[in-house]
Amino acid sequence: MRVLTWIGGGAMVAAAMLDGLGVLGRHTGLPLHGVIELVQAAILITGCVALVAATAAGSHARVHFLMERLSPPLRTATEAGGQLLSALFFMALLAGGVWLSADLWTGHEMSELIGVPYRWLRVATHLAVGAVVLLLLRDAIRRRPS
Amino acid sequence: MMATPETGLLGVGILFVLLMLGVPIGMSLGVVGFGGLVLILGMEPALIKSAVLLFETLIRYELGTLPLFMLMAHLFFSAHASRDLFDAAAKMVGHRRGGLAFASIAGCAGFGAINGSSLATAATIGLVALPEMRQRGYSDALATGTVAAGGTLGQMIPPSGALIVFGIIAEQSIGKLFTAAIIPGLTQALFYLLVVWLLVRWRPSLAPPSPRANWAERWAALRRIGDMMAVILFVIAGIALGWFSPSEAASVGVLGALAIAAWRKRLNRAMLETAFVETLRTSGLLLAVIVGALVFSVFVSITGLADAVGSSVEGLGLGAVPTLLLLAVLLLLLGSVLDGLALMLLTTPILLPIVTQLGMSPIWFGIFIVRAMEIGFVHPPIGMNLYVIQGVAKDVPLSRIFKGVTPFLASDLLHLLLIILFPVIALGLPEWLGQ
Repeated sequence: MRVLTWIGGGAMVAAAMLDGLGVLGRHTGLPLHGVIELVQAAILITGCVALVAATAAGSHARVHFLMERLSPPLRTATEAGGQLLSALFFMALLAGGVWLSADLWTGHEMSELIGVPYRWLRVATHLAVGAVVLLLLRDAIRRRPS
Repeated sequence: MMATPETGLLGVGILFVLLMLGVPIGMSLGVVGFGGLVLILGMEPALIKSAVLLFETLIRYELGTLPLFMLMAHLFFSAHASRDLFDAAAKMVGHRRGGLAFASIAGCAGFGAINGSSLATAATIGLVALPEMRQRGYSDALATGTVAAGGTLGQMIPPSGALIVFGIIAEQSIGKLFTAAIIPGLTQALFYLLVVWLLVRWRPSLAPPSPRANWAERWAALRRIGDMMAVILFVIAGIALGWFSPSEAASVGVLGALAIAAWRKRLNRAMLETAFVETLRTSGLLLAVIVGALVFSVFVSITGLADAVGSSVEGLGLGAVPTLLLLAVLLLLLGSVLDGLALMLLTTPILLPIVTQLGMSPIWFGIFIVRAMEIGFVHPPIGMNLYVIQGVAKDVPLSRIFKGVTPFLASDLLHLLLIILFPVIALGLPEWLGQ
Protein backbone atom coordinates (compact mmCIF):
# COMPACT_ATOMS: atom_id res chain seq x y z
CA MET A 1 0.00 0.00 0.00
CA ARG A 2 2.91 2.31 0.77
CA VAL A 3 4.24 2.05 -2.78
CA LEU A 4 0.76 2.79 -4.13
CA THR A 5 0.52 5.83 -1.85
CA TRP A 6 3.73 7.25 -3.30
CA ILE A 7 2.61 6.47 -6.85
CA GLY A 8 -0.72 8.26 -6.27
CA GLY A 9 0.93 11.11 -4.38
CA GLY A 10 3.66 11.43 -7.00
CA ALA A 11 1.00 11.60 -9.71
CA MET A 12 -0.77 14.40 -7.81
CA VAL A 13 2.41 16.42 -7.39
CA ALA A 14 3.31 15.81 -11.05
CA ALA A 15 -0.16 17.02 -12.11
CA ALA A 16 0.22 20.15 -9.94
CA MET A 17 3.69 20.94 -11.33
CA LEU A 18 2.64 20.41 -14.95
CA ASP A 19 -0.48 22.52 -14.49
CA GLY A 20 1.57 25.18 -12.70
CA LEU A 21 4.03 25.27 -15.60
CA GLY A 22 1.10 25.49 -18.00
CA VAL A 23 -0.30 28.53 -16.16
CA LEU A 24 3.12 30.17 -16.01
CA GLY A 25 3.70 29.51 -19.70
CA ARG A 26 0.33 30.93 -20.70
CA HIS A 27 0.79 34.13 -18.71
CA THR A 28 4.34 34.66 -19.99
CA GLY A 29 3.47 34.12 -23.64
CA LEU A 30 5.08 30.67 -23.85
CA PRO A 31 2.11 28.29 -23.93
CA LEU A 32 3.02 24.64 -23.35
CA HIS A 33 0.96 22.49 -25.70
CA GLY A 34 -0.23 19.13 -24.46
CA VAL A 35 0.16 19.88 -20.76
CA ILE A 36 -3.53 19.20 -20.16
CA GLU A 37 -3.17 15.73 -21.70
CA LEU A 38 -0.30 14.88 -19.36
CA VAL A 39 -2.26 16.24 -16.39
CA GLN A 40 -5.23 14.08 -17.42
CA ALA A 41 -3.01 10.98 -17.39
CA ALA A 42 -1.62 11.90 -13.96
CA ILE A 43 -5.12 12.51 -12.60
CA LEU A 44 -6.27 9.13 -13.93
CA ILE A 45 -3.43 7.41 -12.07
CA THR A 46 -4.32 9.39 -8.94
CA GLY A 47 -7.98 8.37 -9.28
CA CYS A 48 -7.08 4.70 -9.75
CA VAL A 49 -4.87 4.64 -6.67
CA ALA A 50 -7.48 6.66 -4.72
CA LEU A 51 -10.22 4.10 -5.45
CA VAL A 52 -7.99 1.28 -4.18
CA ALA A 53 -6.83 3.30 -1.14
CA ALA A 54 -10.39 4.21 -0.09
CA THR A 55 -11.56 0.60 -0.47
CA ALA A 56 -8.54 -0.86 1.36
CA ALA A 57 -9.16 1.56 4.25
CA GLY A 58 -12.92 0.84 4.21
CA SER A 59 -13.59 4.54 4.06
CA HIS A 60 -16.39 4.69 1.48
CA ALA A 61 -19.16 7.12 2.48
CA ARG A 62 -22.37 5.57 3.79
CA VAL A 63 -25.53 6.56 5.65
CA HIS A 64 -25.25 5.46 9.28
CA PHE A 65 -28.76 6.37 10.42
CA LEU A 66 -30.22 2.83 10.50
CA MET A 67 -26.97 0.86 10.73
CA GLU A 68 -26.18 2.25 14.17
CA ARG A 69 -29.50 0.94 15.45
CA LEU A 70 -29.02 -2.66 14.26
CA SER A 71 -27.81 -5.47 16.53
CA PRO A 72 -24.10 -6.32 15.97
CA PRO A 73 -24.72 -9.68 14.16
CA LEU A 74 -27.37 -8.12 11.90
CA ARG A 75 -25.11 -5.18 11.25
CA THR A 76 -22.20 -7.43 10.26
CA ALA A 77 -24.44 -9.42 7.91
CA THR A 78 -25.84 -6.22 6.37
CA GLU A 79 -22.35 -4.87 5.86
CA ALA A 80 -21.24 -8.08 4.16
CA GLY A 81 -24.29 -7.85 1.87
CA GLY A 82 -23.39 -4.25 1.05
CA GLN A 83 -19.81 -5.24 0.26
CA LEU A 84 -21.01 -8.01 -2.07
CA LEU A 85 -23.35 -5.58 -3.86
CA SER A 86 -20.49 -3.09 -4.16
CA ALA A 87 -18.24 -5.80 -5.57
CA LEU A 88 -20.97 -6.61 -8.10
CA PHE A 89 -21.05 -3.00 -9.32
CA PHE A 90 -17.27 -2.86 -9.72
CA MET A 91 -17.31 -6.25 -11.48
CA ALA A 92 -19.75 -4.76 -13.98
CA LEU A 93 -17.43 -1.78 -14.48
CA LEU A 94 -14.48 -4.14 -14.96
CA ALA A 95 -16.34 -6.36 -17.42
CA GLY A 96 -17.50 -3.38 -19.48
CA GLY A 97 -14.04 -1.83 -19.38
CA VAL A 98 -12.25 -4.99 -20.51
CA TRP A 99 -14.83 -5.43 -23.28
CA LEU A 100 -14.17 -1.87 -24.50
CA SER A 101 -10.40 -2.30 -24.26
CA ALA A 102 -10.53 -5.50 -26.28
CA ASP A 103 -12.53 -3.71 -28.98
CA LEU A 104 -10.22 -0.68 -29.06
CA TRP A 105 -6.84 -2.38 -28.46
CA THR A 106 -5.73 -2.52 -32.08
CA GLY A 107 -6.99 1.02 -32.72
CA HIS A 108 -4.07 2.48 -30.71
CA GLU A 109 -6.28 5.16 -29.19
CA MET A 110 -4.21 8.27 -28.32
CA SER A 111 -4.63 11.81 -27.07
CA GLU A 112 -4.77 14.51 -29.77
CA LEU A 113 -1.71 16.70 -29.20
CA ILE A 114 1.09 14.60 -27.78
CA GLY A 115 -0.22 11.08 -28.30
CA VAL A 116 -0.65 9.80 -24.73
CA PRO A 117 -1.54 6.09 -25.28
CA TYR A 118 -5.01 5.59 -23.85
CA ARG A 119 -4.92 1.81 -23.99
CA TRP A 120 -2.36 1.66 -21.19
CA LEU A 121 -4.40 4.09 -19.16
CA ARG A 122 -7.37 1.78 -19.67
CA VAL A 123 -5.23 -1.14 -18.42
CA ALA A 124 -4.35 0.89 -15.30
CA THR A 125 -8.08 1.47 -14.72
CA HIS A 126 -8.81 -2.26 -15.06
CA LEU A 127 -6.07 -3.13 -12.57
CA ALA A 128 -7.47 -0.63 -10.06
CA VAL A 129 -11.08 -1.76 -10.49
CA GLY A 130 -9.97 -5.41 -10.26
CA ALA A 131 -8.14 -4.64 -7.02
CA VAL A 132 -11.25 -2.93 -5.64
CA VAL A 133 -13.36 -6.01 -6.46
CA LEU A 134 -10.87 -8.31 -4.71
CA LEU A 135 -10.70 -6.07 -1.63
CA LEU A 136 -14.50 -5.87 -1.36
CA LEU A 137 -14.87 -9.65 -1.75
CA ARG A 138 -12.14 -10.23 0.86
CA ASP A 139 -13.92 -7.94 3.33
CA ALA A 140 -17.30 -9.55 2.66
CA ILE A 141 -15.93 -13.07 3.15
CA ARG A 142 -13.97 -12.15 6.27
CA ARG A 143 -16.94 -10.10 7.54
CA ARG A 144 -14.54 -7.24 8.10
CA PRO A 145 -16.50 -4.10 9.05
CA SER A 146 -15.93 -1.06 6.86
CA MET B 1 -39.08 -3.48 -18.54
CA MET B 2 -40.26 -0.19 -20.07
CA ALA B 3 -38.39 3.05 -19.63
CA THR B 4 -41.19 4.69 -17.67
CA PRO B 5 -41.18 7.21 -14.83
CA GLU B 6 -42.59 4.44 -12.61
CA THR B 7 -39.41 2.41 -13.23
CA GLY B 8 -37.39 5.46 -12.24
CA LEU B 9 -39.46 5.90 -9.10
CA LEU B 10 -38.95 2.25 -8.22
CA GLY B 11 -35.21 2.76 -8.67
CA VAL B 12 -35.27 5.77 -6.33
CA GLY B 13 -37.16 3.66 -3.76
CA ILE B 14 -34.61 0.83 -3.98
CA LEU B 15 -31.78 3.35 -3.74
CA PHE B 16 -33.32 4.81 -0.59
CA VAL B 17 -33.53 1.32 0.99
CA LEU B 18 -29.92 0.50 0.07
CA LEU B 19 -28.71 3.81 1.49
CA MET B 20 -30.58 3.21 4.73
CA LEU B 21 -29.09 -0.29 4.94
CA GLY B 22 -25.66 1.30 4.97
CA VAL B 23 -24.51 0.21 1.51
CA PRO B 24 -21.82 2.76 0.50
CA ILE B 25 -23.43 5.75 -1.23
CA GLY B 26 -21.47 5.50 -4.48
CA MET B 27 -22.09 1.80 -4.80
CA SER B 28 -25.83 2.14 -3.98
CA LEU B 29 -26.17 4.69 -6.76
CA GLY B 30 -24.11 2.55 -9.12
CA VAL B 31 -25.93 -0.72 -8.40
CA VAL B 32 -29.37 0.83 -8.86
CA GLY B 33 -28.29 2.79 -11.94
CA PHE B 34 -26.57 -0.18 -13.54
CA GLY B 35 -29.42 -2.57 -12.65
CA GLY B 36 -31.92 -0.14 -14.15
CA LEU B 37 -29.88 0.23 -17.33
CA VAL B 38 -29.69 -3.57 -17.68
CA LEU B 39 -33.47 -3.82 -17.36
CA ILE B 40 -34.15 -1.01 -19.83
CA LEU B 41 -31.33 -1.28 -22.37
CA GLY B 42 -30.00 -4.82 -21.89
CA MET B 43 -26.74 -6.16 -20.47
CA GLU B 44 -24.29 -5.15 -23.23
CA PRO B 45 -25.23 -1.44 -23.50
CA ALA B 46 -25.40 -1.19 -19.70
CA LEU B 47 -21.89 -2.63 -19.30
CA ILE B 48 -20.42 -0.46 -22.04
CA LYS B 49 -22.15 2.75 -20.89
CA SER B 50 -21.04 2.26 -17.27
CA ALA B 51 -17.45 1.50 -18.29
CA VAL B 52 -17.35 4.54 -20.60
CA LEU B 53 -18.59 6.73 -17.74
CA LEU B 54 -15.86 5.39 -15.44
CA PHE B 55 -13.01 6.01 -17.87
CA GLU B 56 -14.34 9.40 -18.99
CA THR B 57 -14.65 10.48 -15.36
CA LEU B 58 -11.17 9.27 -14.41
CA ILE B 59 -9.54 11.04 -17.34
CA ARG B 60 -11.55 14.23 -16.95
CA TYR B 61 -9.28 17.23 -16.49
CA GLU B 62 -11.70 18.91 -14.05
CA LEU B 63 -11.56 15.86 -11.78
CA GLY B 64 -8.09 16.98 -10.74
CA THR B 65 -9.70 19.83 -8.80
CA LEU B 66 -10.87 17.40 -6.15
CA PRO B 67 -7.65 15.60 -5.08
CA LEU B 68 -5.47 18.66 -5.62
CA PHE B 69 -7.53 20.99 -3.41
CA MET B 70 -7.61 18.23 -0.81
CA LEU B 71 -3.86 17.82 -1.00
CA MET B 72 -3.48 21.58 -0.54
CA ALA B 73 -5.69 21.38 2.58
CA HIS B 74 -3.72 18.48 4.05
CA LEU B 75 -0.42 20.24 3.43
CA PHE B 76 -1.72 23.37 5.17
CA PHE B 77 -3.16 21.22 7.92
CA SER B 78 0.29 19.70 8.52
CA ALA B 79 1.59 23.27 8.81
CA HIS B 80 -0.84 23.82 11.76
CA ALA B 81 -3.16 26.08 9.77
CA SER B 82 -6.20 25.57 12.02
CA ARG B 83 -4.38 26.62 15.20
CA ASP B 84 -2.77 29.63 13.53
CA LEU B 85 -6.06 30.83 11.99
CA PHE B 86 -7.99 30.61 15.26
CA ASP B 87 -5.11 32.13 17.19
CA ALA B 88 -4.92 35.15 14.87
CA ALA B 89 -8.68 35.74 15.08
CA ALA B 90 -8.65 35.28 18.87
CA LYS B 91 -5.81 37.78 19.27
CA MET B 92 -7.75 40.38 17.24
CA VAL B 93 -11.23 40.07 18.79
CA GLY B 94 -10.88 37.67 21.73
CA HIS B 95 -11.00 40.47 24.32
CA ARG B 96 -14.54 41.45 23.36
CA ARG B 97 -17.53 39.79 24.97
CA GLY B 98 -18.15 36.71 22.80
CA GLY B 99 -14.86 37.44 21.05
CA LEU B 100 -13.65 33.83 21.05
CA ALA B 101 -16.94 32.74 19.48
CA PHE B 102 -16.42 35.41 16.78
CA ALA B 103 -12.86 34.10 16.39
CA SER B 104 -14.14 30.52 16.03
CA ILE B 105 -16.44 31.58 13.21
CA ALA B 106 -13.65 33.51 11.52
CA GLY B 107 -11.34 30.51 12.01
CA CYS B 108 -13.96 28.22 10.47
CA ALA B 109 -14.39 30.59 7.51
CA GLY B 110 -10.61 30.78 7.02
CA PHE B 111 -10.13 27.04 7.38
CA GLY B 112 -13.17 26.50 5.12
CA ALA B 113 -11.29 28.40 2.43
CA ILE B 114 -8.45 25.90 2.78
CA ASN B 115 -10.49 22.79 3.40
CA GLY B 116 -13.73 21.93 1.61
CA SER B 117 -15.46 19.86 4.20
CA SER B 118 -17.85 20.72 7.03
CA LEU B 119 -16.78 17.81 9.19
CA ALA B 120 -13.07 18.50 8.88
CA THR B 121 -13.59 22.21 9.60
CA ALA B 122 -15.74 21.55 12.68
CA ALA B 123 -13.32 18.90 13.99
CA THR B 124 -10.09 20.85 13.48
CA ILE B 125 -11.33 24.25 14.67
CA GLY B 126 -13.23 22.51 17.47
CA LEU B 127 -10.02 20.91 18.74
CA VAL B 128 -8.40 24.32 19.06
CA ALA B 129 -11.31 26.61 19.94
CA LEU B 130 -13.46 24.55 22.31
CA PRO B 131 -10.88 24.04 25.10
CA GLU B 132 -9.98 27.75 24.89
CA MET B 133 -13.60 28.94 25.11
CA ARG B 134 -14.48 26.58 27.93
CA GLN B 135 -11.35 27.53 29.86
CA ARG B 136 -12.37 31.21 29.59
CA GLY B 137 -15.82 30.47 31.08
CA TYR B 138 -17.92 30.42 27.90
CA SER B 139 -21.23 28.56 28.08
CA ASP B 140 -20.88 24.97 26.82
CA ALA B 141 -23.94 25.41 24.62
CA LEU B 142 -22.62 28.60 22.98
CA ALA B 143 -19.10 27.21 22.52
CA THR B 144 -20.16 23.90 20.96
CA GLY B 145 -23.02 25.42 18.95
CA THR B 146 -20.73 28.07 17.45
CA VAL B 147 -18.16 25.55 16.22
CA ALA B 148 -20.79 23.03 15.01
CA ALA B 149 -22.51 25.73 12.94
CA GLY B 150 -19.27 27.45 11.91
CA GLY B 151 -17.98 24.13 10.59
CA THR B 152 -20.63 24.14 7.88
CA LEU B 153 -18.88 27.15 6.33
CA GLY B 154 -16.29 24.67 5.04
CA GLN B 155 -18.89 23.31 2.65
CA MET B 156 -19.83 26.67 1.13
CA ILE B 157 -16.71 28.85 1.11
CA PRO B 158 -14.63 27.99 -1.96
CA PRO B 159 -12.94 25.67 -2.65
CA SER B 160 -15.84 23.45 -1.62
CA GLY B 161 -15.78 19.67 -2.11
CA ALA B 162 -19.57 19.54 -2.39
CA LEU B 163 -19.60 22.19 -5.14
CA ILE B 164 -16.90 20.32 -7.08
CA VAL B 165 -18.95 17.11 -6.91
CA PHE B 166 -22.09 19.02 -7.94
CA GLY B 167 -20.22 20.68 -10.81
CA ILE B 168 -19.04 17.32 -12.12
CA ILE B 169 -22.37 15.46 -11.87
CA ALA B 170 -24.49 18.39 -13.09
CA GLU B 171 -21.91 19.35 -15.76
CA GLN B 172 -21.66 22.94 -14.55
CA SER B 173 -18.64 25.25 -14.44
CA ILE B 174 -16.82 24.69 -11.14
CA GLY B 175 -15.27 28.16 -11.41
CA LYS B 176 -18.68 29.77 -11.72
CA LEU B 177 -19.98 27.72 -8.79
CA PHE B 178 -17.02 28.84 -6.65
CA THR B 179 -17.59 32.48 -7.58
CA ALA B 180 -21.33 32.14 -6.89
CA ALA B 181 -20.56 30.69 -3.45
CA ILE B 182 -18.47 33.65 -2.26
CA ILE B 183 -21.34 36.00 -1.27
CA PRO B 184 -23.54 33.25 0.26
CA GLY B 185 -20.51 31.99 2.21
CA LEU B 186 -19.64 35.44 3.51
CA THR B 187 -23.25 36.35 4.36
CA GLN B 188 -23.64 33.02 6.15
CA ALA B 189 -20.57 33.83 8.26
CA LEU B 190 -22.00 37.32 8.95
CA PHE B 191 -25.30 35.79 10.05
CA TYR B 192 -23.42 33.57 12.52
CA LEU B 193 -21.50 36.56 13.87
CA LEU B 194 -24.80 38.39 14.28
CA VAL B 195 -26.28 35.43 16.19
CA VAL B 196 -23.33 35.43 18.61
CA TRP B 197 -23.58 39.22 19.02
CA LEU B 198 -27.31 39.01 19.78
CA LEU B 199 -26.86 36.11 22.21
CA VAL B 200 -24.14 37.82 24.25
CA ARG B 201 -26.12 41.07 24.32
CA TRP B 202 -29.17 39.19 25.54
CA ARG B 203 -27.26 37.15 28.14
CA PRO B 204 -23.75 38.54 28.78
CA SER B 205 -22.85 35.70 31.16
CA LEU B 206 -22.72 33.31 28.18
CA ALA B 207 -19.35 34.66 27.10
CA PRO B 208 -17.17 36.66 29.50
CA PRO B 209 -14.53 38.97 28.00
CA SER B 210 -10.90 37.74 27.87
CA PRO B 211 -7.64 39.70 28.40
CA ARG B 212 -6.71 41.96 25.45
CA ALA B 213 -3.67 40.89 23.38
CA ASN B 214 -1.16 43.67 22.69
CA TRP B 215 -0.35 44.76 19.13
CA ALA B 216 2.99 42.94 19.09
CA GLU B 217 1.18 39.65 19.79
CA ARG B 218 -1.46 40.49 17.19
CA TRP B 219 1.07 41.22 14.46
CA ALA B 220 2.97 38.03 15.28
CA ALA B 221 -0.24 36.00 14.98
CA LEU B 222 -1.19 37.73 11.70
CA ARG B 223 2.30 37.13 10.27
CA ARG B 224 1.90 33.41 10.97
CA ILE B 225 -1.18 33.19 8.70
CA GLY B 226 -0.10 35.82 6.17
CA ASP B 227 1.55 33.40 3.73
CA MET B 228 -1.34 30.89 3.86
CA MET B 229 -4.00 33.53 3.42
CA ALA B 230 -2.06 35.08 0.52
CA VAL B 231 -2.07 31.71 -1.29
CA ILE B 232 -5.77 31.14 -0.57
CA LEU B 233 -6.79 34.64 -1.67
CA PHE B 234 -4.67 34.31 -4.81
CA VAL B 235 -6.35 30.98 -5.62
CA ILE B 236 -9.91 32.26 -5.05
CA ALA B 237 -9.28 35.60 -6.78
CA GLY B 238 -7.58 33.80 -9.67
CA ILE B 239 -10.69 31.68 -10.28
CA ALA B 240 -13.12 34.59 -9.88
CA LEU B 241 -11.11 36.91 -12.15
CA GLY B 242 -10.41 34.25 -14.76
CA TRP B 243 -6.61 34.13 -14.34
CA PHE B 244 -6.83 30.35 -14.22
CA SER B 245 -9.35 27.51 -14.24
CA PRO B 246 -10.35 25.79 -10.95
CA SER B 247 -8.13 22.80 -11.83
CA GLU B 248 -5.16 25.10 -12.43
CA ALA B 249 -6.03 27.00 -9.25
CA ALA B 250 -5.88 23.75 -7.28
CA SER B 251 -2.43 23.07 -8.76
CA VAL B 252 -1.25 26.58 -7.90
CA GLY B 253 -2.61 26.02 -4.37
CA VAL B 254 -0.69 22.74 -4.00
CA LEU B 255 2.55 24.35 -5.18
CA GLY B 256 1.98 27.28 -2.80
CA ALA B 257 1.25 24.93 0.11
CA LEU B 258 4.37 22.87 -0.66
CA ALA B 259 6.47 26.04 -0.79
CA ILE B 260 5.05 27.28 2.54
CA ALA B 261 5.59 23.89 4.22
CA ALA B 262 9.19 23.88 2.96
CA TRP B 263 9.71 27.51 4.07
CA ARG B 264 8.41 26.61 7.54
CA LYS B 265 10.75 23.55 7.59
CA ARG B 266 7.81 21.18 8.00
CA LEU B 267 8.12 19.46 4.63
CA ASN B 268 9.43 15.95 5.20
CA ARG B 269 8.78 12.42 4.02
CA ALA B 270 6.42 11.48 6.89
CA MET B 271 4.37 14.67 6.50
CA LEU B 272 4.05 14.15 2.74
CA GLU B 273 3.05 10.52 3.16
CA THR B 274 0.33 11.42 5.67
CA ALA B 275 -1.00 14.11 3.33
CA PHE B 276 -0.98 11.67 0.39
CA VAL B 277 -2.75 8.89 2.35
CA GLU B 278 -5.49 11.21 3.62
CA THR B 279 -5.97 12.83 0.23
CA LEU B 280 -6.13 9.53 -1.64
CA ARG B 281 -8.65 8.00 0.77
CA THR B 282 -11.02 10.96 0.61
CA SER B 283 -10.61 11.32 -3.16
CA GLY B 284 -11.35 7.61 -3.67
CA LEU B 285 -14.49 7.93 -1.58
CA LEU B 286 -15.71 10.89 -3.64
CA LEU B 287 -14.69 9.33 -6.93
CA ALA B 288 -16.78 6.20 -6.22
CA VAL B 289 -19.69 8.48 -5.38
CA ILE B 290 -19.28 10.52 -8.60
CA VAL B 291 -19.09 7.43 -10.84
CA GLY B 292 -22.12 5.87 -9.11
CA ALA B 293 -24.05 9.15 -9.36
CA LEU B 294 -23.32 9.49 -13.08
CA VAL B 295 -24.55 5.93 -13.79
CA PHE B 296 -27.65 6.65 -11.69
CA SER B 297 -28.25 9.95 -13.52
CA VAL B 298 -28.23 8.19 -16.90
CA PHE B 299 -30.78 5.69 -15.59
CA VAL B 300 -33.03 8.46 -14.19
CA SER B 301 -32.87 10.48 -17.40
CA ILE B 302 -33.74 7.44 -19.55
CA THR B 303 -36.81 6.67 -17.43
CA GLY B 304 -38.16 10.22 -17.85
CA LEU B 305 -38.74 10.47 -14.09
CA ALA B 306 -37.41 14.02 -13.84
CA ASP B 307 -39.72 15.21 -16.65
CA ALA B 308 -42.72 13.50 -15.04
CA VAL B 309 -42.00 15.02 -11.63
CA GLY B 310 -41.42 18.38 -13.32
CA SER B 311 -44.80 18.19 -15.10
CA SER B 312 -46.54 17.23 -11.86
CA VAL B 313 -44.98 20.14 -10.02
CA GLU B 314 -45.87 22.48 -12.89
CA GLY B 315 -49.43 21.12 -12.77
CA LEU B 316 -49.74 22.35 -9.20
CA GLY B 317 -49.49 25.89 -10.58
CA LEU B 318 -47.75 27.19 -7.49
CA GLY B 319 -45.35 29.61 -9.14
CA ALA B 320 -41.60 29.76 -8.76
CA VAL B 321 -41.07 30.88 -5.16
CA PRO B 322 -43.64 28.56 -3.50
CA THR B 323 -42.27 25.64 -5.55
CA LEU B 324 -38.73 26.42 -4.44
CA LEU B 325 -39.93 26.67 -0.84
CA LEU B 326 -41.59 23.29 -1.26
CA LEU B 327 -38.33 21.85 -2.59
CA ALA B 328 -36.45 23.37 0.34
CA VAL B 329 -38.84 21.69 2.80
CA LEU B 330 -38.43 18.39 0.92
CA LEU B 331 -34.63 18.67 1.06
CA LEU B 332 -34.68 19.52 4.77
CA LEU B 333 -36.97 16.53 5.49
CA LEU B 334 -34.79 14.17 3.45
CA GLY B 335 -31.77 15.69 5.19
CA SER B 336 -33.18 14.30 8.45
CA VAL B 337 -32.45 10.75 7.32
CA LEU B 338 -29.80 11.09 4.60
CA ASP B 339 -26.39 12.65 4.94
CA GLY B 340 -25.47 15.62 2.77
CA LEU B 341 -23.72 13.82 -0.05
CA ALA B 342 -26.44 11.18 -0.41
CA LEU B 343 -29.07 13.92 -0.35
CA MET B 344 -27.37 15.85 -3.15
CA LEU B 345 -26.75 12.83 -5.36
CA LEU B 346 -30.22 11.36 -4.92
CA THR B 347 -32.09 14.59 -5.59
CA THR B 348 -29.97 16.44 -8.17
CA PRO B 349 -30.98 14.35 -11.23
CA ILE B 350 -34.67 14.80 -10.33
CA LEU B 351 -34.80 18.33 -8.95
CA LEU B 352 -32.35 20.12 -11.26
CA PRO B 353 -34.64 19.86 -14.33
CA ILE B 354 -37.57 21.15 -12.25
CA VAL B 355 -35.57 24.10 -11.04
CA THR B 356 -34.35 24.98 -14.53
CA GLN B 357 -37.95 24.73 -15.80
CA LEU B 358 -38.82 27.37 -13.21
CA GLY B 359 -36.28 29.64 -14.84
CA MET B 360 -33.59 29.29 -12.17
CA SER B 361 -29.99 28.71 -13.17
CA PRO B 362 -28.26 25.38 -12.37
CA ILE B 363 -25.51 27.43 -10.69
CA TRP B 364 -28.10 28.86 -8.29
CA PHE B 365 -29.39 25.34 -7.66
CA GLY B 366 -25.85 24.20 -6.78
CA ILE B 367 -25.63 26.90 -4.09
CA PHE B 368 -29.19 26.18 -2.91
CA ILE B 369 -28.64 22.43 -2.51
CA VAL B 370 -25.26 22.85 -0.79
CA ARG B 371 -26.90 25.33 1.62
CA ALA B 372 -29.64 22.76 2.33
CA MET B 373 -26.94 20.09 2.82
CA GLU B 374 -25.16 22.32 5.32
CA ILE B 375 -28.33 22.65 7.38
CA GLY B 376 -28.52 18.85 7.48
CA PHE B 377 -25.08 18.85 9.11
CA VAL B 378 -26.44 20.61 12.20
CA HIS B 379 -29.99 19.35 12.61
CA PRO B 380 -30.86 16.07 14.30
CA PRO B 381 -31.11 13.15 13.94
CA ILE B 382 -28.20 13.01 11.43
CA GLY B 383 -26.47 16.32 12.27
CA MET B 384 -22.95 14.95 11.73
CA ASN B 385 -21.28 18.13 13.00
CA LEU B 386 -23.05 17.73 16.33
CA TYR B 387 -21.50 14.27 16.76
CA VAL B 388 -18.10 15.54 15.64
CA ILE B 389 -18.24 18.28 18.28
CA GLN B 390 -19.35 15.79 20.92
CA GLY B 391 -16.31 13.73 19.99
CA VAL B 392 -14.14 16.75 20.82
CA ALA B 393 -16.05 17.83 23.96
CA LYS B 394 -17.03 14.40 25.30
CA ASP B 395 -18.51 15.66 28.59
CA VAL B 396 -21.06 17.93 26.87
CA PRO B 397 -24.33 16.06 26.24
CA LEU B 398 -25.70 16.05 22.70
CA SER B 399 -28.89 17.79 23.88
CA ARG B 400 -26.80 20.74 25.08
CA ILE B 401 -24.90 20.95 21.80
CA PHE B 402 -28.22 20.96 19.96
CA LYS B 403 -29.51 23.70 22.27
CA GLY B 404 -26.40 25.70 21.41
CA VAL B 405 -26.78 25.23 17.67
CA THR B 406 -30.52 26.07 17.58
CA PRO B 407 -30.12 29.87 17.17
CA PHE B 408 -27.63 29.25 14.34
CA LEU B 409 -30.07 26.80 12.75
CA ALA B 410 -32.73 29.52 12.81
CA SER B 411 -30.32 31.89 11.06
CA ASP B 412 -29.56 29.13 8.52
CA LEU B 413 -33.24 28.80 7.63
CA LEU B 414 -33.55 32.57 7.24
CA HIS B 415 -30.43 32.61 5.05
CA LEU B 416 -31.81 29.81 2.86
CA LEU B 417 -35.06 31.76 2.50
CA LEU B 418 -33.12 34.84 1.41
CA ILE B 419 -31.22 32.80 -1.20
CA ILE B 420 -34.60 31.65 -2.59
CA LEU B 421 -36.16 35.12 -2.53
CA PHE B 422 -33.07 36.93 -3.81
CA PRO B 423 -31.15 34.67 -6.22
CA VAL B 424 -28.84 37.61 -6.86
CA ILE B 425 -27.06 36.67 -3.60
CA ALA B 426 -25.61 33.70 -5.50
CA LEU B 427 -25.76 34.89 -9.09
CA GLY B 428 -24.78 38.55 -8.69
CA LEU B 429 -21.01 38.14 -8.41
CA PRO B 430 -20.54 35.76 -11.39
CA GLU B 431 -22.69 38.08 -13.51
CA TRP B 432 -20.82 41.16 -12.34
CA LEU B 433 -17.50 39.49 -13.17
CA GLY B 434 -18.85 38.53 -16.59
CA GLN B 435 -18.60 34.76 -16.04
